[in-house]
Amino acid sequence: MAGGLVLSNSLIAAKPDTQPLKIAVIGCGDRGTGIMHILNGLPDMFRIIAVCDVLDFRLTSAQKLTKNSTTKAYTDYRKLLDDGEVEAVIVAVPLNMHYPIATDVIKSGRHLYLEKTMTYNIEQALELVKLMHGRSNQVLQVGHQYRYSPLYYRVKEMVNNGFLGKVTQVDCRWDRNGDWRRQVPQPGLERAINWRMYKQYSGGLMAELLSHQIDFINWVFDTHPQEFFATGGIDVFKDGRETYDNIQVMMRYPELGLIGNFGAMCGNAHDGYLFKIKGTLGSVSLLTDQGMFFPEKKLLNEKGTIDGVTGATRIVWNKEGGTPILSEPTKDGTWYAFKDFYKKVQAKELPDSNVLTGARTAISVHLANQSLYEKKISTWDKNYML
Amino acid sequence: MKNKLLFPIGVFIIILCASSRQRPLQRFELKGFAQGTTYSIIYYATDSVVNTTQTESLLKRFDRSVSLYDPNSLISQFNRSATGIRIDEPFRVLVTRAIQISHATGRLVDPTVKPLVDAWGFGVVKPARDPTGDEIKSLLQNVGVNKIYLKGDYLYKRRPGVQLDLNGIAQGYSVDLLALLLERYYINNYLIELGGELRVKGHKPGNDPFKVGIEGISGNDFDPEPLRKIIEPGDGAITTSGNYRKHHEAGGKQVSHLMNPLTGFPIQNEMISITVYARDAITADGFDNGFMAMGLKNTLAFLEKRKNMGAYIVYRKADGSVADTVTTAFKNKN
Repeated sequence: MAGGLVLSNSLIAAKPDTQPLKIAVIGCGDRGTGIMHILNGLPDMFRIIAVCDVLDFRLTSAQKLTKNSTTKAYTDYRKLLDDGEVEAVIVAVPLNMHYPIATDVIKSGRHLYLEKTMTYNIEQALELVKLMHGRSNQVLQVGHQYRYSPLYYRVKEMVNNGFLGKVTQVDCRWDRNGDWRRQVPQPGLERAINWRMYKQYSGGLMAELLSHQIDFINWVFDTHPQEFFATGGIDVFKDGRETYDNIQVMMRYPELGLIGNFGAMCGNAHDGYLFKIKGTLGSVSLLTDQGMFFPEKKLLNEKGTIDGVTGATRIVWNKEGGTPILSEPTKDGTWYAFKDFYKKVQAKELPDSNVLTGARTAISVHLANQSLYEKKISTWDKNYML
Repeated sequence: MKNKLLFPIGVFIIILCASSRQRPLQRFELKGFAQGTTYSIIYYATDSVVNTTQTESLLKRFDRSVSLYDPNSLISQFNRSATGIRIDEPFRVLVTRAIQISHATGRLVDPTVKPLVDAWGFGVVKPARDPTGDEIKSLLQNVGVNKIYLKGDYLYKRRPGVQLDLNGIAQGYSVDLLALLLERYYINNYLIELGGELRVKGHKPGNDPFKVGIEGISGNDFDPEPLRKIIEPGDGAITTSGNYRKHHEAGGKQVSHLMNPLTGFPIQNEMISITVYARDAITADGFDNGFMAMGLKNTLAFLEKRKNMGAYIVYRKADGSVADTVTTAFKNKN
C-alpha cells in the first residue's frame, strides 16, 4: 500500500516500482560481511534487516556494518527464521552447515542465496534438489558468482559460438603463498574460525576455491566431469590441519574430449588466479575481472601469401598480441550475482546458478575430493543424473 | 716477385667482391608493440642491419613527441601550456602536414579536435556522459587550425584551451619514419605495418609483389571475417580508417570515434571504412579520417582526378546492405 502512495507522487516516479527485499544474513565471517558491503551498495534492491552468527564479536561488527539501526541480531538461525519480516536469506556458513540451514530456510518459504559449494556431500546435494522440487515460486541461488560476470558470460558466448575452435584443455589455478588461516582471538575458537582446515566442516581448497572454475566449465559446456584423478597432501603447513594445502586434480569430460586441470596450493603465489581455456582456434586467459583472447599463431600465419593487413587500429594490451575481451575490468562477480538474485526473486524465475547446477558442481567437488583423500580414481555415478 | 704476389691478391679481391654481390637477400621480420597496438616489419637484405633495438628506440622517441598517453610528451606539454611551446622536428613535420591536410579537406580533419574527442569519451580520461549541445558549442571555440601557428620551431596557440590530438595522422608518420630508417641502411624491399597502417617498397625475391589484405568489417576480433580484398599496392602507403572497431553506444546509437570538427558531433554517414593509397603514410593517414567525414559522394569527387591518391571504400547503402567501390588510382592495385 505504501508503495502505491509513493508511486502516485510524480516527483519520485523514478523510484523503482518494487520495494527493496528484506534480507537476512546467516554467517557473518569474511564472506558474509563481504556480501553485506555489496548489498549496502544496492539500497534499492536490498535492506539487511537481520544478521546471525554463533560468534558474538562477529555479530556485533556485522550489526555495525548495516546502515540500518534496527537490524536485529541472532545467534540461533532458527529464531531468525521465526521473524516474519524476513523475505530472503543469505547463508554464508561453514560448508557442513549449508545443508541443515538451507533446508530450514527453504521449508520456511524464504528465498535463499546459498554460498558455494552448495552442500558438504553428495547425498545432501541430491536431497536439496528433491526439496526444491515443486517450489517454483521460491528462488534458490547458489553463490557461483562467475556465472553473472559480464566477462565470464562473454567467454561462454565465445566458446559456444566456436570462436575458440575445439576446446580440449582447461587450466585453472588458485594459488597463494600463505597458510590460508584467519586470525583466532582465543584458542578455543580455532575450529570455529579456521573451519576450512578441518574435514569435519570443509572440503578444503577444492570446495572453497576451485569449485568456481569447476562450476564455470560445467556451465559453459553444459556438462560435468565423468572421471576424477587427484593427488595432494599437507606439504607446506604441517600445523595440525586436515585439509590438504597442495592439490591437483585432472578431470575428464569424455563426450567433449576435454581435460580439465585444476590446482591450488599454499606454497607459491606467482600464478595466483589462473584460468585458461584452450581451443584449436585460440585461447582465453582470465583473471577474475578481466580477460584476453589470443588467436592461435598458426592461424595468423595461414593468411598464406598475404604480407600485411590494413584495417582500423586494433587495440592490444600486451606484446603477445592478445585482444582484451571487454574494454574495461568488471566489478566483483558478487555484485552482478545479487542484482540478478533480486531480479529472479521479483520474477520468480530459475536463476542461472540454481539447485540443479549447484548440485552438479557440488558432486563434482566431492568426487574430486574423494579421489584426493581416498587415493583412487572416482567416476560420476549415472544415478546422479540431474 | 712483386707480380707474383699481386696476382693472387687481385684474384682474392675480385672473388670477395663477386661473392658479396651475389650473397642472396634474406628475409628478416621484426615484431613489436607500440602506440597501444602492434607493429611488424618484413625486409629483405643480405644481413640483419636493422633490429628491434633501433625500431623500439625510434618509436619511443616518437611517443615522447606526440603521444597523448605520455603526460610528459611535447604534445601533452603543448596542451597544458597557455600560449605554446618549442617543438621538435617530427612534431613540426606532423603539425605542418596536418594543417595542410585540414585546409585541403575543407577542415573535415583538424589537429585541434582533442577537446571534442575527450568530451565524446574517446580520450585518455573518460567522461561520465555525452556532452550537451551548449557544451559542444563552447568546446568548438577552441577547435580550428587557425587557432595554432608555427614560427620556426615554436608552435603557438591563440587560446589557452586549444589542444592537439595528432592520433589520426601520427601513426602513419611513424610508419614513414620506420621506412626512412630502413632506407638509411639501403634496404629497398620492405613492408612495414603499424596498427593497420602500411608502407611498402620493392618486392619479394623473384620479383614477387608484396600483397596486402584489407580487413573484414565485423569488428569482432574473436572471430575475424575473411579479408575483404587482397591488393598489390606497389611502392607507397596504405592506411585504413574505419568505424567498425572503435565506437561506443549512447542512447541506443553507435557513437563513432571520428569527430566532425565543424559540427562538434561524431560523424554519422554511410561510410564504414576507407583504405587510402598515397605515396607516403603521413598523407594517406592524414586524409583517411577526412574522407570518412566527407562521405562517399564527396570523397569520390575529391579523388576522381588524382593519380597519386586512391581509395577503396566500404559503405552502407540506403537499404542497409554493405557495398564497396574503388577510385581511379586504386583500380590498378587489384
